[in-house]
Amino acid sequence: MITRLRGLGQVTTGTKIGLIFVGFTVLVALLAPWLAPYDPVATDADNALAGASWSHWLGTDQYGRDILSRTIEGGRFALLVSLLATTTAVVVGTLIGAVAAYYGRWVDGAITRVLDAVLAVPSVLALLLIVSVFGNSVPVLVIAIAVVYVPAVARVVRGAARPVLASGYVTAAKARGERSLPIIGREVLPNILDTVLVEFAMRASWVVLLVSTLSFLGFGVNPPTPDWGLMIQENRTALTVAPAGTIAPIVALSLLVVGLNLAADGLGKHFGVDRARRGVL
Amino acid sequence: MSETTTARVEGLTVSYRAGEQRVVVAEDVSFQLHRGRTLGLVGESGSGKSTVARTLLGHLREGSTVDRGTVTVFDDDVFSLPAERLRKLRGGTVALVSQNAGHALTPSMRVGAQIREALAVHGLPCGDDRIVELLRLVRLPSPETLGRRYPHELSGGQQQRVAIAMAVATDPQILVLDEPTTALDVVTQAAVLALVSDLREQLGMAVLIVSHDLGVVSAVADEVLVLRSGREVEHGSTQQVLSAPREEYTRELIAAAPRIHGVPVPDGRDLETDLILRCTDVDIRYTRAPQLAVSGFDLEVRRGETVAIVGESGSGKSTIAAALAGLADVERGDASLWSADGTRHDLLGPAGRRPVDVRRSVQLVFQNADLALNPRRTVGDAIARPLKVFGRAKGRQEPRASVERLLTEVGLGPEFADRLPAQLSGGQRQRVGIARALAAEPTLLIADEITTALDVSVQADVLALLDDLRTRRALSCLFISHDLAVVRSVADRIVVMKDGRVVESAPTTSLFENPRHPYTRTLLDAVVEPGHTELPSSDVDARVITLDSNAALLDLGGGHRVRADEGVLTSS
Repeated sequence: MITRLRGLGQVTTGTKIGLIFVGFTVLVALLAPWLAPYDPVATDADNALAGASWSHWLGTDQYGRDILSRTIEGGRFALLVSLLATTTAVVVGTLIGAVAAYYGRWVDGAITRVLDAVLAVPSVLALLLIVSVFGNSVPVLVIAIAVVYVPAVARVVRGAARPVLASGYVTAAKARGERSLPIIGREVLPNILDTVLVEFAMRASWVVLLVSTLSFLGFGVNPPTPDWGLMIQENRTALTVAPAGTIAPIVALSLLVVGLNLAADGLGKHFGVDRARRGVL
Repeated sequence: MSETTTARVEGLTVSYRAGEQRVVVAEDVSFQLHRGRTLGLVGESGSGKSTVARTLLGHLREGSTVDRGTVTVFDDDVFSLPAERLRKLRGGTVALVSQNAGHALTPSMRVGAQIREALAVHGLPCGDDRIVELLRLVRLPSPETLGRRYPHELSGGQQQRVAIAMAVATDPQILVLDEPTTALDVVTQAAVLALVSDLREQLGMAVLIVSHDLGVVSAVADEVLVLRSGREVEHGSTQQVLSAPREEYTRELIAAAPRIHGVPVPDGRDLETDLILRCTDVDIRYTRAPQLAVSGFDLEVRRGETVAIVGESGSGKSTIAAALAGLADVERGDASLWSADGTRHDLLGPAGRRPVDVRRSVQLVFQNADLALNPRRTVGDAIARPLKVFGRAKGRQEPRASVERLLTEVGLGPEFADRLPAQLSGGQRQRVGIARALAAEPTLLIADEITTALDVSVQADVLALLDDLRTRRALSCLFISHDLAVVRSVADRIVVMKDGRVVESAPTTSLFENPRHPYTRTLLDAVVEPGHTELPSSDVDARVITLDSNAALLDLGGGHRVRADEGVLTSS
């Protein structure tokens, strides 16, 4: 794995662009308190809905808040929730998928049926319900989003783990009488790590969109905290007067999602998950 | 170009780019194919034989280029043909049968439809009668109905016959067979080779057969071309190459081929050591399977003894290995293992529930060395794992020392400890597999088809290593194989199995000198080896030897036991 990661210098231009987009967004979000020229929640009634100027590069919104500052700060919440939720979903999903593949038979059957049931529920509806009941604190959101995405991850990992489990080194470990978790940890996981990494990058882009959707619907972050989804919702009525208020968060969000998709795609090819590119030999 | 010449390869040099430099796969290879004649291309893996054979179809692996030389098929330079003509050539004039028919056939398509496709692509009549005719031509049973089956419903040999039917469907002038029998067991192999010979006569094709096994080539080829590292080593008529090889390398290849004719049977060792394994009346059934995978299996293994279990695929021989290792459930019967101090252990039940000592005492070496080692762990790590699990070495220094000692013992060096499996050759991987098994210091080593995936020359080395180990370590070994010729040099006793039952069990010497069961004789007849060019008839695998389910094992004395089926008492 380490040798393959070292080879990242040879990835395609698309992947590099994707990684740069993601890196840029994350960096801006991290440094936001120092980068933002104004306090993102400070209102200025005299200067509402102003156009672009030297003092406000992207203008102001209906309460006179600086749009650039809000856009810079607006990714923090979505990125934090996405990172936590994706990590949780991928870790839990990988474990469940690997366990289902390892035990097979009725364990597999039972786990997959439950996963299917969860998959059948529309994710946004389920989240709206959870948030209405338990509130919209970060832990609730993280757990709710993780639950929504665990089944998808588990199914992919289960599929990837099955051929590995049929191999001789797993049989050898079983014959040595090793227990299931050490076998999964030592023999199986290192060999499906590429799939898991790609799954992480792909899920992350979905989760970012889902978090922003929630904010847009008013179930995510509480105003006046800056957030891209929320900003689009707040400013879309003023689209003709101050278009930057809607467009800036959209561009920022697109940058991140496109970046994540390009990176996932490229990483998949790089790690050989996309076997079509290499040709079946 | 003479009248019978169909293809000519001249001074062919093929190379591919690896990083900054070019790697030469084949260098200055020349040969000609003649109508109705067979050329055998022999070499180890990596000798470039497949690359050379596939140039006849104008095919190169991605990244490879022809640097010099020409490939001419009937006056056409293959590599300068326009795409349209090249498509006509492929499958039309030159047809390819590849190594693994299980992979070469589309799993989701009925075999009849696949043959029809091969015909339709070349605009030939593809009615049902033509397909039945082709299936009959390759001697498949019940050709009228077989076309409606899917590949997975056929045996490996039948799949290969379907692949051959597809290749000859268009009446090609040249048939290229790339390791056509490597994935098959001996009986099927002999039948497929005989079929190829018959078809060549019948259809008047020129045949190019690629193999790592001189025995296979000598059985069907008129001419042999030996390749090594992409270069021609020796080229001549089969008779001449085999009887008077000019080059040392050819001699080595001939010597490496396992053989049963013309060499004395090795003296069986009479072992009066203590018993370490006894199975009585073992039945094994896979979950919810209607039939038993193994029934009434009896076996005794003494300390230091090597017992071979021989049978074709599906005979239940690997199931026994799995059961003894605690990986398959035993339905009925007893299996006991005695440790050095004379304690008896029960050898039934899953591996996880066995005491550590029993798990340690029985170790497996696997058929496919590529899959037997975790690609993400170094060789040293793989060998050190059993040391840790079984508490044979503690701390940081001790395992490392043991690993290096084991690596040296199996003929690799301590420097291999830090390599990854991908950096090793097939033979080296198999040695690592053996070292990993030895790390547990087992009493019983189960070697499940460990040489099947290896080249003949590498196979000879691995067998020699195993022979060396069992004398040095007083190791008992259960050697599972489909080839009687392979086990001959290593086994003290041989158990022949068919359909989950033991049909004959005898000391090696008496089994080879006096095979009693008709099935054992079929297996012996099917062995192909250099210089022994007779092949059994091409429908031998269709010949059914039925076992009488009530037949008992007859004791013929001297440890020779045979199942009392029809044809047993007529001595050969």
